[in-house]
Amino acid sequence: MNRLLYLFKRLLLAVPVFLFGITMSFMVLYLGPIDPVLNILGQDATPEDIHQLKVALGLIYQDGSTVPLWSQYLKVLTDLLTFDFGQSWIIQRGTPVGDLILNRMPVTLWLGFWSVVVALVVGIPGGLYAGLRANTWRDYIASGGGIIWRAMPNFWLAVMVVGLLSAGGLLSFYPDLWVSTDVIGTSDSVGNLFGSSQVFAGMPLLEAIWVPVPKWTNIATAIKWILPAALVLGSSSMGNEIRIGRTAVLESINSKYVETAKAKGVSGRRIVTKHVGRNALIPLLPIIMSEFYLLIGGSVLVEKVFSIRGLGNMFFRGVLGPDIPLVMALVFLFIIVQVTVNIAQDILYTFIDPRITLEDTER
Amino acid sequence: MSDTTATTTREELTGFERVPLRTRIVESPRPFLQWLAGLFALVAVEFGTYATLAFAMVERAFVGVTALVELLVGAVSGSATSTVLDIQAAGSTFLTGLTEWAGSLPTLFGRETIPNQGYMLGPNGPWKGTFLGLEPALAWALRLTLIVVYALFVSYWLFRGWKIYRDHYRQADWTPTDDMVGRLRGHRWGQFGILVLLLYLSMAIFGPALGPTTVEQNIQSSYSHEIKYYDTEAESVETVFVGEANFNSKSKGSGENVGPMTYDNYDRFHPFGTLSNGRDLFTFLMGGARITMIVAGMAIGIATLIAAILSMVSAYYAGSIDLGILTTADGIVSVPRLILLIMVSAVFANHWLGNILDGGFILALVFAFTTWPLLWRAVRGPALQVAQEEWVDAARSFGQRPRTIMRKHMLPYIVGYLLVYASMTTGGIIISLSALSFLGNGLGISAPTPAWGRAVSLGQSYVATSSWHISLLSGLVIVVLVTGLNALGDGIRDAIDPETESAEAEEAAAGGGA
Repeated sequence: MNRLLYLFKRLLLAVPVFLFGITMSFMVLYLGPIDPVLNILGQDATPEDIHQLKVALGLIYQDGSTVPLWSQYLKVLTDLLTFDFGQSWIIQRGTPVGDLILNRMPVTLWLGFWSVVVALVVGIPGGLYAGLRANTWRDYIASGGGIIWRAMPNFWLAVMVVGLLSAGGLLSFYPDLWVSTDVIGTSDSVGNLFGSSQVFAGMPLLEAIWVPVPKWTNIATAIKWILPAALVLGSSSMGNEIRIGRTAVLESINSKYVETAKAKGVSGRRIVTKHVGRNALIPLLPIIMSEFYLLIGGSVLVEKVFSIRGLGNMFFRGVLGPDIPLVMALVFLFIIVQVTVNIAQDILYTFIDPRITLEDTER
Repeated sequence: MSDTTATTTREELTGFERVPLRTRIVESPRPFLQWLAGLFALVAVEFGTYATLAFAMVERAFVGVTALVELLVGAVSGSATSTVLDIQAAGSTFLTGLTEWAGSLPTLFGRETIPNQGYMLGPNGPWKGTFLGLEPALAWALRLTLIVVYALFVSYWLFRGWKIYRDHYRQADWTPTDDMVGRLRGHRWGQFGILVLLLYLSMAIFGPALGPTTVEQNIQSSYSHEIKYYDTEAESVETVFVGEANFNSKSKGSGENVGPMTYDNYDRFHPFGTLSNGRDLFTFLMGGARITMIVAGMAIGIATLIAAILSMVSAYYAGSIDLGILTTADGIVSVPRLILLIMVSAVFANHWLGNILDGGFILALVFAFTTWPLLWRAVRGPALQVAQEEWVDAARSFGQRPRTIMRKHMLPYIVGYLLVYASMTTGGIIISLSALSFLGNGLGISAPTPAWGRAVSLGQSYVATSSWHISLLSGLVIVVLVTGLNALGDGIRDAIDPETESAEAEEAAAGGGA
């Protein structure tokens, strides 16, 4: 079975998974005890207004009879599949949800990208390092750090980091490190900085990165801003990578093929890169992939604490609204990301480890 | 009855006679009776605590189950729901009465026996109302130590029960469990995990007696309780409402702060300081331990049960049943857990279903619903391996029913793996639960019931001030528990399977996050 056919089969299997996720979210949002009309119009609305709104929302027909649930469901489903997300109810009433999401997406992508990078750059070398020096004090520091990193809740770590950065004191001897004055003016508090920052309103960041000739100072500033949040968001993945990297290295370093390589005189460096490193990647792959999964949920918390105005923050406000079209569209995107990552992981497996046949990866 | 046939065959083959445990105990009752007497004494001294907790939990479970029944019945006929509601109300009242009765029983380590809340008679003492006239801090520390020692001793006694069973009543001289216990003996990291779990369980059980004050008095209805204190300005003993005393004991940065291990102006000792609203942080965290352990325990219990059944079913039958379960599991996992939790929690925030167990009931259900796919995926591999063993084939060939095969020949082999992953995923559940309470706005455990996440959120603005203790200590409580659960998982993994320190074994459990 070649990879293309396999990909096709995986995509086919993803369809019911995808539908299941959407249906589940639909049931929570549409069958749950939410009264959208009350939330939008408030207590004292005239019956005509209520009637009109209900028609506009697709809850009742013009003659007053209720739209059956299955037809609401089909409408939601077809709208989502055609990327017609409708209009926001509460957050910015009347604004197309697609515009809202596009506006907020860059910040979240930026945050997600850096949290993956930070976790990878620290986690994997850390794990290899600990594994190659197993049971020394260096190993205990690295893997102990991994265990603690993994056990720390994102939201708590975020609170601590924001607190320390805004504290002044010890960290303020070099305030320019975190708080850049040339873009956001005079702000001495990081919490304040993230809240009122122009960069995170969306557009300036886009310009900083996508304009034909990027301004390096702008990019540097944007990275500097996002790093504390990215570090927090990537923390548990980093811990996982250290731990699993360590065990994976230990597992392969004691194996027969490494022994053989040593016996025939392969240099130590080459053994690590060629034999240990590559095999250690196999169990690490799902961890790296599951990072995306953690990112989506974690971004809600981290963005809230750091006052970053990204998708996670918007999702939270949307749920509290409740702004159902917005929430539904975001969940739709999250599911797409999740399903895609799952498929990508299985395909990547076949590249990293040719022993794993395509049939095996169907789990 | 194919079971009986099977047993007879084995008995004939091995000459091994099965004697019921009861008969074995009656034959030489002495060790058992000694152990039982010890257990009886241990339970008796703290009977009030256990009974209160048990009745309260039964009451909550009863309300929860009848509420679900009402929901289902209501879908069929409207009139039947009122009957269900009547039953619910009557049962609830009865059980609440029992809870109150149990709460009035004296206990050996209760706050009535070793009181720590007192007041000074003069500017430098002596103390009145505390145990032996000790300083409140000392009286509290004494009670805390005694309870912890007691709880650890009870755990030891239960373990001893197993040892007595092994040495005196078990028919087999050796089982794999002996080796597992033996391996845990040399496993310091795993023992750390067991210790942490035991400590937090005792926090959950003895929480009301562990704090320097009670959740009832200090947090939930602080304006219906009065305390006495020595007023330094008036130079006399005064009486004040707890709520008022709280109001003047806030920790809000450098201006007003009651730090860890200090007294406030009302002769009250605060081991962890006060919250930004003046309530006692230690008491708050103890209260949070109870609801956290109940919700996490319920969630992981249900999830493990579902995962165990489905993993065996999918391994035994394989094929399209397996594929169906796989698709369902993937579908559930396709919505990120925290996202689903936030949605459900927000949607049911003002609904009666969201009020059972202070919102914990529905959260536990959602946690169970979203956790079983992870466990199932982790255990499915081992289950598949067992299903292909010859003894399963043999059992099938002489006509044992699938249910019996799964229970007798497959379950024992996957229980260990289930424990490992359950222990490790519980950490993720606890973190997510705290995260919801942290977010507030009707999500998570509803106020005023204490929740760890809410304590972190209350101290959010004071991290870099002199009131640093609020967020830091409440977060550390979570970190220690999650680390302990991971250690426990590592310990069990090494105990059941010391050979393979496999990286694959870890990945499924590597949830964390939120």
